[in-house]
Amino acid sequence: MSDIRLQVIIFIAAMLLLFTSFLLAFIFNQRKKYQYQKEVQSLREQQQNQLIEAAVRSEEMERHRIAETLHDEVGAILSSSRLHIENIKTATLDKRDKELHAKGKELLDEGLKLVRNISHNLHSNILKEFGLNEAIRHFFNMTVKGTLIQVETDLDPDYKTQQADNDISIYRMIQELLNNILKHAHPKQIKIESKLKSENLLIAIEHDGLGITQKQFEDLRYKKDGLGLKNIQNRVILLRGSINFSIINGKSKVQIIIPNKTSNHE
Amino acid sequence: MSFSSVFQNIIIWLEVWALLIPIFVFLKKTSQPVYVQPVIFYLFIALFLNFVIILIWKREILGLNTVFDNNNPVYNFHSIIRLIFFSVFFILLKQPFLSGVKLIIPFLFIFFVVINFIFFEDYFQTKISSRLHTVESGILLFYCLQFYLFRLKDEQASFVKMPDFWVVTGLSIFVVISFPIYLFYDRLLNEELKFVIDIWEVQKAAFLIFCLFIAKAFYTNE
Repeated sequence: MSDIRLQVIIFIAAMLLLFTSFLLAFIFNQRKKYQYQKEVQSLREQQQNQLIEAAVRSEEMERHRIAETLHDEVGAILSSSRLHIENIKTATLDKRDKELHAKGKELLDEGLKLVRNISHNLHSNILKEFGLNEAIRHFFNMTVKGTLIQVETDLDPDYKTQQADNDISIYRMIQELLNNILKHAHPKQIKIESKLKSENLLIAIEHDGLGITQKQFEDLRYKKDGLGLKNIQNRVILLRGSINFSIINGKSKVQIIIPNKTSNHE
Repeated sequence: MSFSSVFQNIIIWLEVWALLIPIFVFLKKTSQPVYVQPVIFYLFIALFLNFVIILIWKREILGLNTVFDNNNPVYNFHSIIRLIFFSVFFILLKQPFLSGVKLIIPFLFIFFVVINFIFFEDYFQTKISSRLHTVESGILLFYCLQFYLFRLKDEQASFVKMPDFWVVTGLSIFVVISFPIYLFYDRLLNEELKFVIDIWEVQKAAFLIFCLFIAKAFYTNE
């Protein structure tokens, strides 16, 4: 083999060898970087979940505290006031005072009822005693009571509570969503259904009011006054689920998908 | 037609059909990032130039009566076009690394081409310009190395999903093999003509790898 042929072959081989080594080192370096980035990302997600969980837990504790104060203290004072008013002898009163006495009693009854309702909403007694389905049904019926809104509930009876904390989060999301719908959408009909499907719990709230799209939801939850939507999103993240807002053929729909078998509160 | 003649024809036309592979993938996946556009333009122009090169080379067998009987100027033109389009590709990558140098290089190269073919070489000579091709592959090699160096410094690591990684790797393989061939081309032509023909087949194989990597780049991009 002549010198020049040998030189060319050696040159090409050396260049290829150098390049291959360089490429392998490059790929190895990139893989290490990628692994590191994945670890950082996972740590960040873990930290975010812990923060959300702490926020949700403290919110729940605060709700319980307010509910207990309302029920045990404000409720007790109102009940005692009612007893005192009831003990007033009305026979000696004139017509005007009798009317004022009756009105005061009526207002106290209303106040007591209101305190009890608020306390029940804030507390999750029904949820703990009767389960998620019954709590949702009760909340829907209580909320639309006295309005012309038609409510339909179709909840999967096969749903069994896996983790009580998860049920509280789902219940709070539904509470927030229904309150938002009533406040902003002005619907005539609301339907809530739930279904267990391949280890996921699918919850859909459908109404004929003025709903929002997913894009609007994304925009609204970054706004200052979008605290409710932010809370919903936080709970969705905490449950490792997903939420989707849509408007199809004039019907607005919110669909929540929650994994039912996995443990979310790590 | 015997098997060996079919095989020979496949090898002869390799520089044309190899380009059809990334073009086909591109036509299937037309949505590509902006920085890949110079590569797409290059592919179409290279397809035309390589087709002309083979037509001139095989004009007698194909029964064509072409005016040109020398395809080396087309090879030279292909080399200039390749460097210009890939320079634009590397500039459009917007890597904040040697950006000033990358902007000047195409102009310096054009200046070199003009000076070289006015004072030192005949553009229409009967062999490809070894000097032009060596400078071109040397510059492309520099571009590729600076790309990897920047990526090593960069904190992000998502190269597998990035079309630019595949384009640059394909180009690197091509220039790593081509550079020594072009560097020794004139000497080999004088001393080892048979070896030049053989080694040119290796260069063609490198060109095929280059095209396959570009196809992979187009395919990778979502």
